[in-house]
Amino acid sequence: MATSVSTLAAPVTETEENVRSRTLAVEWPIYAVVFASTCILVGLLWDVSWHRTIGRDTFWSPPHIVEQVAAIVAGLSCGWVVLHTTFAGSPEERAQSVRFWRFFQAPLGAWVCIWATITMIMSAPFDDWWHNAYGLDVRIISPPHTVLASGMIGLQLGAGLMALGAQNRATDDRDRKRLGIIFAWAAGIIIGFAAIFIQEEASYGNAMHGSKFYRLTAMVFPIFLVAFARASRLKWPATTIALLYMGIVLVNMWIIESFPAQPRLAPIYNPVTHMVPPQFPLLFVFPGIAIDLLIRRFGNGRDWTLSIALGIAFVLVMIAAHWFWGDFLISPAARNWFFAADKWDYNSRLGPWRYQFWNLDRDASKNFSPMLFLRGIAIAIVYAVIGSRIGLWWGKGMALVKR
Amino acid sequence: MIPSQPKVLGRNLGLAVLCIVLSAHVGSPDAWYEGNAGPYKVTVQVQLPGVVPGIAQIFVRVPNDRPERVTVVANKFDATGGTPPPETATPVEGDPGLYGAKLWLMTAGSNSITVALTGSRGSGKAIVPVVNVALRRLELDPKLGIGLSAIGLFLFVGMVTIIGAAVRESTLPPGELPSSGNRTRARLAMTGTGLVLALLLFGGWRWWNSEASAFNRTIFKPLASKADLVARNDEPPQLVFSIADEEWIHRSDSSWLARRDGTSWTPLIEDHGKLMHLFLIRDDMGLFAHLHPATVDSVVFSSALPPLPPGRYRVFADIVFESGYSQTLVTSVVVRQLPLTGMSNTQRSDPDDSWFAGPVAAKGDSTRLSDGSVMTWSGSAPIVAGREAGLRFEVHNADGTPSTLEPYMGMAGHAVVEREDGSVFVHVHPSGTVSMASQMAFAMRQPGDSVKGLLGQRLNAMERSTMSVHAPVAGSVSFPYAFPKPGKYRIWVQVKKNGRILTGAFDVPVNSGVKSAD
Repeated sequence: MATSVSTLAAPVTETEENVRSRTLAVEWPIYAVVFASTCILVGLLWDVSWHRTIGRDTFWSPPHIVEQVAAIVAGLSCGWVVLHTTFAGSPEERAQSVRFWRFFQAPLGAWVCIWATITMIMSAPFDDWWHNAYGLDVRIISPPHTVLASGMIGLQLGAGLMALGAQNRATDDRDRKRLGIIFAWAAGIIIGFAAIFIQEEASYGNAMHGSKFYRLTAMVFPIFLVAFARASRLKWPATTIALLYMGIVLVNMWIIESFPAQPRLAPIYNPVTHMVPPQFPLLFVFPGIAIDLLIRRFGNGRDWTLSIALGIAFVLVMIAAHWFWGDFLISPAARNWFFAADKWDYNSRLGPWRYQFWNLDRDASKNFSPMLFLRGIAIAIVYAVIGSRIGLWWGKGMALVKR
Repeated sequence: MIPSQPKVLGRNLGLAVLCIVLSAHVGSPDAWYEGNAGPYKVTVQVQLPGVVPGIAQIFVRVPNDRPERVTVVANKFDATGGTPPPETATPVEGDPGLYGAKLWLMTAGSNSITVALTGSRGSGKAIVPVVNVALRRLELDPKLGIGLSAIGLFLFVGMVTIIGAAVRESTLPPGELPSSGNRTRARLAMTGTGLVLALLLFGGWRWWNSEASAFNRTIFKPLASKADLVARNDEPPQLVFSIADEEWIHRSDSSWLARRDGTSWTPLIEDHGKLMHLFLIRDDMGLFAHLHPATVDSVVFSSALPPLPPGRYRVFADIVFESGYSQTLVTSVVVRQLPLTGMSNTQRSDPDDSWFAGPVAAKGDSTRLSDGSVMTWSGSAPIVAGREAGLRFEVHNADGTPSTLEPYMGMAGHAVVEREDGSVFVHVHPSGTVSMASQMAFAMRQPGDSVKGLLGQRLNAMERSTMSVHAPVAGSVSFPYAFPKPGKYRIWVQVKKNGRILTGAFDVPVNSGVKSAD
């Protein structure tokens, strides 16, 4: 293989258009996998809503079909990329690929997507057995769901890597910006996906006065936001990614809540009449701006210092943005289609808890304790610093991906 | 009597320990109801999923009519937001008059299945109470396990390979060959990835075990109970039965329950006019007693002891809660004295108490009852596990004329089924295995029944007022039931005639459905 690759070395002189066309040689699969990645998030948002509203589903429920479309599109398109690149690829296409078992060739992202597709497919019989053994979706976070989630996040990362490789190869500003936007879209999808996994604890306005909300968000999001910000070539990458995440979730939220629906399972304690939408997205645009400004100011040489600054900034901006936002979300002003607050599952026993804050940092006498809150915030900052440092390291690696 | 089979019995006793622990109605989880749904006669079988949440299979047999529509819907006893739309039960191919549907049962505890029929004779409904609990552990099918492991291994190797390729080549400009440094870093990354994945898999394995353990803790266990024999001076010996479970004892202590995530049990209600139906069955099934202990307090129940010969007795106590939840408590008691004076007919704690140690017939044979009449279990077809057994018994007077049977605790008859190892025990009526009190609890529950005990008071008052209104029936009685698994069973059938409680006993081998299919 070494010989064959050496013959594919780029020619010494090329026209600008030749170089541009070479970077775009395998562009349609990028759109295919980013579409698949979007389907994953959209399907998941709808599936969660389906379970909160209707309850009963089948393997062929509409949200599941969207997920299956995602796996099929990603698997087939990346499978095609592998076969095409290996057996019929142009020298440029082969040169932009990595080898698998010293024979098969494809861009890194395609391999990740194929791995993800097989993982998602594998999770289906495992999950079916799990349901028979331990009950139907007793818990959202279960071993088979984790396998499925690994496949989903793999597919989303694979899509991001395919866009990233093309962005990093692009020599034309227009292409770089366009591919950068595609990468930001793929990154926004990942942020949305991660948000679903902690939505029970960190999406409701009721949770935004407890340090747990900030610890959880600090544990999960700085890694992704910082890594994607560093890997992106956009001017405001984290801000763009956060806006795309918020926009995608908002559009889904507004569409989902407009569909009439009826619970199909008992017991019903809350007779909803429309699909229960996802929560209003988290306001990551504000920490996104802070991340972009800090990364721009610090540059590439002081990552340890930068990660400390990023970690502190992330948590403080999150508090500044969400403390009063939480007040608003549990107020009557948010109980409308635009903010979609106060929408609860069909099997929720409604009570005063709807308009109270949860997970407050309370002392032994059950009173809110500022000291306990500050201690929780300090822990959140530690999480965010560690996450930022990992994100900077990971993003640096991703910024170099060219295949 | 069943001939002694020590080896089989010994093996089955081992199974019995497992199954008693794992069973709700003691090894017989399906709910059966036979009766009227408005103008239609129906037999309903609910095959419970054994996990929560799970999918129950519902079969509705309508023997005499062809309704236009049969629907089923499940609901929990305390749901406040209405019922979901019913599911249509579709005709089962090749079995006219049988309709089937699947229902998701989401929550543990007392649920109802409401069967509704619509047709030329109008519409009607029947409520089938079910106790939805986790019942069994499901082992991983070896073929599935091997398949998943093979794919898992492929994915493991695939991820290691991808990481290796990423470190070796992905950051190189197109066409450039990896250096030896790239290759070394790739090998290190692959090794590290392998170790991390191995750790993740180990963590996943531990997690799986932890989930399985957590599930096992939810598997149904009846409330802990104990039975003692108490003899004071010359008084007749008493059987003292206690619901010794701490969760029951602390059922009104909300802080105690909150600390232990315990169940807040609703009060007991009467079923057939009794708070408890207690059965004593000697281990060799040679003696059977059906008693109705009275409450000493909410934990202790007491009954005069029948004249039992010595031996170890299995004790099964059926109780029903105001929520409609019913369960069979299981314990044992050893009778040592020989003979205990026991009670005479005039010393019964309850006029409906009865016991039996007479002859045992086989299926298809007849047995002579204590008043000289004859009970016959007709039919010669072999009994197959999982299929309706056709438990129909005819009672004739000594002169061969059909007997007139009086209601015995409001029912034309009572049948008690026990597998020889005790792993199956069920108390069946002509209306099925479901508790009539549970059924009434669902039918009479009102939105305002938010105070524990209110519904129970109404139900108990109604039970007492309607117990005596059931008309005598002709000389046969049948019970809808399917044996849950193969084995040797004994059935005690109890009827009432001329004011006397009569018991007939039958032994029956139950074959496995698989062998039958062969």
